[in-house]
Amino acid sequence: MGIVLNIQDLTVTYKTRRGTACGVNNVSLELEENRTLGLAGESGCGKSTLGRAIMRLVPYPGRIVNGSIILDIDRDIEYQGGFIGKGPKDLMEFSENEMRALRGEEMAYIFQDPMTSLNPMKTIGSHFVELVKAHYPTMEKAEAIERAKEILENLGILPERVDDYPHQFSGGMRQRVMIGLGLALRPRLLIADEPTTSLDVIVEAQILQQMAQLKEKFNLTMMLITHNLGVLAQTADSIAIMYAGRIVEVADTGALFERPQHPYTKALLESVPDVTKPEKTLCCIPGSPPDLIQPISGCPYGPRCAQMKDTCRRIEPLLVRSSTGGLVACNQYTGD
Amino acid sequence: MSSDTSIHGIFLSLKSVSGDLQSRSFRWWVGFFIVTGLSLSVIVGLLIVALSSNSELGLQAVVGTVVIASVFQVAYKLQKRSVAAGRLKRMEGRTICAAVFLVTSAEVVLWALSAIPTVARAFSVAVILGGFLVAVIMLLILEGYPILKVRGSAGYIAEAGLLIVFSMAYMTVISSWISPFLATKINVGPILSPPSLAYPLGTTSLGQDLLSRVLTGGSIMLQVAILSVIVCFSIGVPLALAASYRGGVADRAASLVMDSIYAFPGLVLAIAISAMLGPGVINMALSIAVVYIPSYFRVVRSQVLTIKELPYVEAAVAMGARSRDIVFRYILPNLLPSAVVVMTINFADAILTEAGLTFVGLGLPVNVPDWGWDLTFGRTQLITGAWWVIAFPGLMIVLLALGFTLAGEGLNEVLTPKLKE
Repeated sequence: MGIVLNIQDLTVTYKTRRGTACGVNNVSLELEENRTLGLAGESGCGKSTLGRAIMRLVPYPGRIVNGSIILDIDRDIEYQGGFIGKGPKDLMEFSENEMRALRGEEMAYIFQDPMTSLNPMKTIGSHFVELVKAHYPTMEKAEAIERAKEILENLGILPERVDDYPHQFSGGMRQRVMIGLGLALRPRLLIADEPTTSLDVIVEAQILQQMAQLKEKFNLTMMLITHNLGVLAQTADSIAIMYAGRIVEVADTGALFERPQHPYTKALLESVPDVTKPEKTLCCIPGSPPDLIQPISGCPYGPRCAQMKDTCRRIEPLLVRSSTGGLVACNQYTGD
Repeated sequence: MSSDTSIHGIFLSLKSVSGDLQSRSFRWWVGFFIVTGLSLSVIVGLLIVALSSNSELGLQAVVGTVVIASVFQVAYKLQKRSVAAGRLKRMEGRTICAAVFLVTSAEVVLWALSAIPTVARAFSVAVILGGFLVAVIMLLILEGYPILKVRGSAGYIAEAGLLIVFSMAYMTVISSWISPFLATKINVGPILSPPSLAYPLGTTSLGQDLLSRVLTGGSIMLQVAILSVIVCFSIGVPLALAASYRGGVADRAASLVMDSIYAFPGLVLAIAISAMLGPGVINMALSIAVVYIPSYFRVVRSQVLTIKELPYVEAAVAMGARSRDIVFRYILPNLLPSAVVVMTINFADAILTEAGLTFVGLGLPVNVPDWGWDLTFGRTQLITGAWWVIAFPGLMIVLLALGFTLAGEGLNEVLTPKLKE
């Protein structure tokens, strides 16, 4: 199994009036083919920024200042006025036109809010036509509609509903349409940014199940951004926990839930209710996330950490291999 | 509502209950009388006016326009059937329709050149334009009605508004050929005579026939309204789209200019500009356009700023859409309803501003028949009891403004899928 996505030292900053905030700080990640990586963390920790940075769609005033994003492109892509050969390519070196050709074709992004992610003036079918036409200008409209019907049927939506407008669909169906749009051109990498947040649990379960099926069918590599650890337990192969723009722990799903290494991961898991252990008391993490504009020295989690030592004030921990086979960034494990 | 039946539109309601005598209910008869009564009264009225016209060519003009429209209608129907059966491509069908229209128009021109060489040019222009308008009206009645009906009351409103506007336009186009007297000729009858058989709408204080003036007077108003709206729309909307989509300096600069125009009271600015440019249709249209561009700009800009941050635009970017597609396929369709609303207000306002400009004497010379002039002169006659002098021209202005408003309001709803009933 090859590496589909390899992120090295990615840093994204937001220029604000108060100063420069580091939304994503020196993040390195690898995604293997046909695996699902869950990206979890509290609000504002940089999950979505990381996801968008991979698409090179960081919203203003954010900017990618450093790092490389290497995507293994599995086919030759022709677009108006250019050509991208297959093989591993650094996305940071691509022009905006080249990125445009890749978006939707090799990598797709599903947004959080399905209610507003579809153009209210267009039918579902014309969304598909538009997408296909943007990448294959020569394709006939009828062919694109046929394809849309096929995809919708796969997702459990009646094919004849291609002529309906978004407001005639429920939230779950719209999210399915969004997933269908994301997968219409058979991308290699799918980044789903909290795809089920605004849906109820039953629809959420259906959609997650469908996404798992589609992943097998289309040989997808997925990145699932969420703050819901329950969702990740169900769907992800491995999980990366983010805190204050950094990755603090990466581990296989089973290992992470069984033997969390980082104190932050432990605290997160303790704050999630468990159906099998009704007697479990939930705890919260004291304090609040650090200010990203004026970073504290040492470990960013230090002030909130129950096991803080003196070294944590001085030394910022690096990601090292943990005993469970994952990676962890905590001074407990660095040997000092 | 199949597209292959030969009976369409308003006449559809007649067909649906046809059968044995028993089923021809009371409702059917009411519908029958309304439809046939209205059509007959329109046709008879047109014929009477045409036969008693001062130009002696009224009948020819009316018949010419109707013939052009009917031939076009038949060609359209046949073409549509062929396209539906797959014998023709859509583009070919359209080309054939256009060709048929051109050929019939050419026939009219040839006839005019041989029969009435002195006024051939004016006559054929009026008849061809009139033919086009009648064709549009027929299309609206026969084809547009079932399409619009699907959309519920919005469809009826749009249909009614469009019919009013196109009928007014038709009336104005052929008015000079069908009016009973020359609209500007004075002393054709007694001064200030009330409506009578000889002068159906009465006469003015100069002894002009008011019917002729009412028929003819809309031409300048329509020209000015249409021209100014076209200018406004085609400057205001693209400018606002481009500037606010780009943002930054371009947006600031454009907003500054627009806001400074906005700072003047509209009518005063229009009066100032048209006083500067001098009278004339184009100058009036321009002065009205300058006044109304900022309202388009403001509305479109606020819409663009909202829409461009919406998730579906972001989703389109994430799927690899180009800026061009985003502007024209995502932002423009979503802001068009608001721009159309501004356009209807603009149409009605342009008509009223034109009437206002003429009223203060900055519009046109007195020898051009215009509803605005009739209002100006009729105002002083009102106290003597001559209500008809301003009632009929005023009614026409109200009707035209109402037509534009209804059309815009209805179209706005028809174009927005979410408001579908």
